[in-house]
Amino acid sequence: MSLLIYFLLLPLIVTCTVLFMKPKPATYLAAFSFIIPFFYILHCLLSGISETFHVMDFAAPVGEIYMFSDAVSNAFGLAICAVSAMVAFVSLPYMQSRLEDMKLDMDSEYRKYAFLYCLFATSMLWLIYSGSLVFVYTFLEIGVISAFLLIFLYGYEKRRWTSILYFVWMLIPGVLAMLSFILIGVDNNTFALKGLSEVSMLAWAILFIGLLVKFPAIGIHSWLPWTYEQSPTPPLGLLILADGLAGYILLRIYLVDSCFIDVYRVPILAYALFSGIYAGFSVFRQTNYKRLLGYSSISQMSYMLVALCLGSYGLMGLVIQYLSHSFGKSILLMTAGGIIALYGMKDLGDMGGLHDYMPEISNAAVIGWLNLGGILTVGMLGEFFILRGIVETFGLNLWVIIPAVFLFMLSVWYGFYMLKKIFYGRPRSAVRETKHVSGYLYIPLVIIGLLSVIFLFPPIAPALTKGLEIVIGGIVP
Amino acid sequence: MNEWILFLILFLAPIISSVPIVLAYKSKEWVNRLPPLSVLGIFISVLVSIYIFFCAPTDLPACRFSYPWIPELGINFVFITDYLSIHMGVVTTLIAFFIAIYGLDYMKGDYRLPWYWFFFNLFTASMLLVVYSDNLFLLFVGWEGLGAASWGLIGHWYKDDDKELTYVGTVDRKVGPLNYFWPPSSGGWRAISTIRFGDVPMFIAIAAIWVFAGNLNISQIGWGTLFGTVGFAGTIIILLFFLIGLFTKSAQVPFSEWLMTAMTGPTTVSALLHSATMVAAGAYVFMRITWYIEPWTLNGVPGLETVYIIALFVGLISGLYGALVALGMLEKKVLLAATTMSSLGLMFGATAASYWIHAEVNGMNIAVLVGFWYLATHAFAKASLFLVSGHLIHATHTRFAVGDLEFGKKMKVAFATTIIATTFLVGIPPLTAYWIKSAMDHVMEHLATEYSILPLILLLATSIIYSAVLARFMSTNFIKGEKPHVAHVEGGGLMKAGYVMMVSMLFVIFYLIFTRSELKEFVHAGFEPLSIAVGIAALASFGIALYKPRMPSMQKFSTVLSDRMYFPYLNDYFCPKIGFFISRICDCVNRGLDGFCNIWVMPGLFKRISGSIRLIQTGQLNRYVQIILSLVMAFLIIATIVMGVMLV
Repeated sequence: MSLLIYFLLLPLIVTCTVLFMKPKPATYLAAFSFIIPFFYILHCLLSGISETFHVMDFAAPVGEIYMFSDAVSNAFGLAICAVSAMVAFVSLPYMQSRLEDMKLDMDSEYRKYAFLYCLFATSMLWLIYSGSLVFVYTFLEIGVISAFLLIFLYGYEKRRWTSILYFVWMLIPGVLAMLSFILIGVDNNTFALKGLSEVSMLAWAILFIGLLVKFPAIGIHSWLPWTYEQSPTPPLGLLILADGLAGYILLRIYLVDSCFIDVYRVPILAYALFSGIYAGFSVFRQTNYKRLLGYSSISQMSYMLVALCLGSYGLMGLVIQYLSHSFGKSILLMTAGGIIALYGMKDLGDMGGLHDYMPEISNAAVIGWLNLGGILTVGMLGEFFILRGIVETFGLNLWVIIPAVFLFMLSVWYGFYMLKKIFYGRPRSAVRETKHVSGYLYIPLVIIGLLSVIFLFPPIAPALTKGLEIVIGGIVP
Repeated sequence: MNEWILFLILFLAPIISSVPIVLAYKSKEWVNRLPPLSVLGIFISVLVSIYIFFCAPTDLPACRFSYPWIPELGINFVFITDYLSIHMGVVTTLIAFFIAIYGLDYMKGDYRLPWYWFFFNLFTASMLLVVYSDNLFLLFVGWEGLGAASWGLIGHWYKDDDKELTYVGTVDRKVGPLNYFWPPSSGGWRAISTIRFGDVPMFIAIAAIWVFAGNLNISQIGWGTLFGTVGFAGTIIILLFFLIGLFTKSAQVPFSEWLMTAMTGPTTVSALLHSATMVAAGAYVFMRITWYIEPWTLNGVPGLETVYIIALFVGLISGLYGALVALGMLEKKVLLAATTMSSLGLMFGATAASYWIHAEVNGMNIAVLVGFWYLATHAFAKASLFLVSGHLIHATHTRFAVGDLEFGKKMKVAFATTIIATTFLVGIPPLTAYWIKSAMDHVMEHLATEYSILPLILLLATSIIYSAVLARFMSTNFIKGEKPHVAHVEGGGLMKAGYVMMVSMLFVIFYLIFTRSELKEFVHAGFEPLSIAVGIAALASFGIALYKPRMPSMQKFSTVLSDRMYFPYLNDYFCPKIGFFISRICDCVNRGLDGFCNIWVMPGLFKRISGSIRLIQTGQLNRYVQIILSLVMAFLIIATIVMGVMLV
């Protein structure tokens, strides 16, 4: 009997339950509904357990609907559970401050928030364990709708415009993914992942273009900085998880049939590298902390796109990069949230020397940037696999190596430059009173940071790589 | 005892012992009480490293200890206790321990002690990881730890509020458009950005070695086969990318600037990171890979000679540059930093010379041995000088060189330590470094016949200038400097203990040179005519600079040197200008895209289409009939045309 379904049902049940609870219990319940699955998933990963749960059968071409777990979905699941649980804690003081600003009643409004928050996180968790493209599409859309509502209801000044902007842009991956899935389902006479044997170039191309918007890649990225700037900060922690799921879907389809990537490997890689470097440079010009993190996300997401072109090691790097980026970026976004919740600062021009007023949050930001830079955290392993993938696929080709190396450098450059600008040196604007930094604002960040270090070492790193090798292995560049 | 427990204690003791002070960060009382615990952690590492030194096997394969990490991929915890690592391990732990003792006094009352002790101990653990790792991935973990810890420690005084003591450069001075002074927060950023420039290429070089050699263990990689597989270009790419990491860490030209502004950190940090350990890590890793590559046995391998020529000249040019720049320096610590860079250059140069040197002692290449023992001597001597500098800064409240003989007499211990450290380091016969430098002269002299005389000329010039610089340091701080405005000479017991213990290690090395069989070549070299001549020249240079530390007539030249030959322009002007120019272009394109997609063009287009559609919806029946009839007519016309075309 598969236990997986029970651990997936738990957050779903909690999603409905939090609607009737007060803020604090709702927060704890929401967090624990992800912490418990986290430990189960971790157990599965360490024990090499893969599970399948049959939901129902439909006539062709829909086929079987089922849930399943393997090392790939477990890795994504760990990131989703860890970040969702920890960010849930940060939500409490942050939303309190936000709802006060909006002059809304905390008790009644927080319920709605908690419901949407849990729905968003649960949809992602269900997506990655779905064995059918029907479910994958369904949960993809549920995620978009819940994110839209969170921005619409609790975002900042331009929240309505931004939420619609986000929704309209997300229609592109949604519609294209649906179209692609229909083509794949019809071609294979089933939507069940295990029944798929081929993916036509047309279906691949449609899906790929659609998901490029979701990542997003440069050129089609203009929605993301607005979303980052105008969203309430905790749901952004989930949004980065959701954007990375584009990589998950592409990876799953790649494992079925890699024809598209095989044919267009070089232009995709070139575009991904350009995208990452371009976004990295864009970071330096940002004046809004969250917008800055948005550009950093675009740059980091390009790592995943690069990794997709690099064979088995690249794919392993893709999965680990998702973990690393989720950990690091969620920490950084929550530091932005902490600054807003405590001092209402969003503009970099007002910041500087903030370490004095919030040392815990400043130190958490260091861990966040170390993650993104792949220094002493699990991201290091991800980078190493991607670099190996580059050498295996392209040899010692300097046309590929130099831009890739530069891309990896950029993340540390802008990261530590921003640390200096925001937290160190002399304060640019006088803070009238030093406020107490609530444990909710930094302890979850430290826990995520610790996880990112723990994931680099045994027993998790070997279990993860071994599991990924089993799922991904055998695919040669 | 199981070796894995030993290694675990060695690396984890410093880290774990620094955790309590971090956890107690909110309690001032506990924060002031807990530093000795952090020092205890380092002391445990000292004991373990000494145990390893005496008891661990040093011959392969017995000296390699492997524990699984990701065994399927060849990533493992592999430690090696060969000649280099057992010596370097002891050097590292002892230096860290002496500095930690000194730090108990020096950092007392500091506003950020938990941060300081955590990074200090993390740094020590990371360095030990670099020292004992045989697996390149594991080594890189330590390597990254060094980078992160150095950033944390250099930028320790993050508030940038003490211009007198924590900045580098004369505050408010401008050279051209550039501010020629650096606060601690800039020092940290400059360090990590430069180091990152080397780390990523090094990482991809390791990945390439992993692919082509199928092994990550330095001592097990078939280097000759690897170079044969990747060919001329491949060898150059892999080794040069690897070397960029080492050059940046060791602040070699053109990556030297970060080291100068790293002096914004506390002096203990300068002593630990920038004399003995972190910067030496680059030179040490170069020695380690050279030890196993054995380039002297691979003389025919295409590309290898090119790489070693590059390493040789980067090292020697850095040596000369560092010594020249130090000649003009007015700040105590920056002067020492420049000489450190110079010494590191000599280590690189000596090790690189091994390609042309076939002479072995006890199975070890003499050039690598010279490089290593110069590293050890330099580490203790320079750390002593840094610690003395810290004490002087405390006493005089200035980072610039001040101090007359009267002041020197008051600071007897510091003065005596400086005399010993400088004379033992510059190569004055018959003191410690003389014998090592003699062997270095001998190696470069050999190169004159095998390759070129230029390396020997560069070495001799560097040695003479270097000697003058350290004499000038001593003279301007204790003999002929200005009288200090402030002279707090009392106290500092632990500080004195720290540098006295540190400098006493130079006598131990002196003893080892005459007793260790593998070092006898050094003694022989010391009696060669060239070495004696160079030793006398160094002594003369030392004496002249001691007597006349400043030459007003050379002021302009001295300013060029103290401005580091305007290298800061590379870091702070040209590179940022280019970067910000590109980022400005990106920003313009982003705004254009935003305008096109989200603000004006696309929304405007949709608005117009939507408006047109709305015009149709008047609610009057005759309007809809008109539209339907128009569509039917249009359809009929198109159908007629199409059918006509088909019939024709």
